[in-house]
Amino acid sequence: MKVLALNGSFRKGGNTEILLKQALMGAESQGATVEILRLTDYRIGPCRGCGLCLFRENVCQVQDDDVSLIFSKVDESDGVILGAPCYFLELTAVVKQLIDRCWILGHKIGKIRKPATVIVPYATRGWIPYVFVQSNILLNVMGLTKINEAAICTQGISEVVLDPEAMELAYGMGKEIAAAIREKDFTYKGEPGICPSCHDWHVRILRDHETVECPMCGVRGKLSVSDGKIRVQFEEKAWADSRFRPDVQYNHFTYHIAPSKDYFLRTKEERKARTQKYREYLAK
Amino acid sequence: MAKYFVKLRYFPGDPLEEIREKDLQGLEKQYGVKISYEKIENREMKEGLLMERTLDKRIEEVTQEVIGVSSDREENFSDCIRGLYKKYRCPRTAYSLLGSNEAGQKIAKGLMNTHGGW
Repeated sequence: MKVLALNGSFRKGGNTEILLKQALMGAESQGATVEILRLTDYRIGPCRGCGLCLFRENVCQVQDDDVSLIFSKVDESDGVILGAPCYFLELTAVVKQLIDRCWILGHKIGKIRKPATVIVPYATRGWIPYVFVQSNILLNVMGLTKINEAAICTQGISEVVLDPEAMELAYGMGKEIAAAIREKDFTYKGEPGICPSCHDWHVRILRDHETVECPMCGVRGKLSVSDGKIRVQFEEKAWADSRFRPDVQYNHFTYHIAPSKDYFLRTKEERKARTQKYREYLAK
Repeated sequence: MAKYFVKLRYFPGDPLEEIREKDLQGLEKQYGVKISYEKIENREMKEGLLMERTLDKRIEEVTQEVIGVSSDREENFSDCIRGLYKKYRCPRTAYSLLGSNEAGQKIAKGLMNTHGGW
């Protein structure tokens, strides 16, 4: 049993690294072998948007960096702990950089069963609205199943060691992921959010002003207020639309992306003519 | 040829509910427009999923449902498009209006931006 920690913090000895190592100690106590990767130690180039991973069946054009190594480490592991700090409302840029490179993994979405958990140290309460959106995206596109997530309020470098509850929580999350691997039980153990699938708290109001949507899953529901409490009801049949279901992913790649090649090719001459002025503009 | 004509191409998983010809006939009457419907089905069951290779196919040949709407009256046309978007949601791809005329496409695209839900 191998547990891999992905560290999205540049800082050595920082709160993220400490919390991840504490979680790995917890996993190790349950018999796991462990490894930690500081993502900023690896070259993660930007996705070039060339589309070859989509149109040439899983070939990434970016070969001169370490992303395939990171993916192979995830492949070799039985479970993943993602840690990243929140500096400005969301996770660090290296996490997003990695998300963008995950197109190549699209064919795995929903098909592999591997648990993951998320730890986010942050400094100011109320300044972390998007952190679990990003972690949800990364885990989903990597084909991982989230079993827990925690945001931990702590600020200066290594200050988290002064918070015994946070340290205990991280240790427990490490034990938990080891147990999930051992027992093949990937049910979500964290605090339930609004969305019963991704457990996030976001809802998006659609332009009809009648419907709301889980922006992560793309599942539509209805908002209601009863006893002064806001609730969102998702219809059972709406789950067929959930973005990270294998059949929905399949349809997305097969019908929204692949046929665009035909459109691209048949508009070639017109595009060439219309883009001429942009090729010349500010070209020197 | 009607002044406003659009083809709405719904690919598998796009419509919020099943597109039924009976419902389309009802919408045709309700909005006073002409509605056509065409279903193209080229999927085969493999590995428990309905699958199809679409990469090198013409857009018009891949599995899809095409709702055609035509009218000479802008208001009727717009109202119908709005009604279709509300019922099925608007088509989702950049090429989902392929085969429409310019006037129809302009309205259908504009309504996607304001009523598409995005």
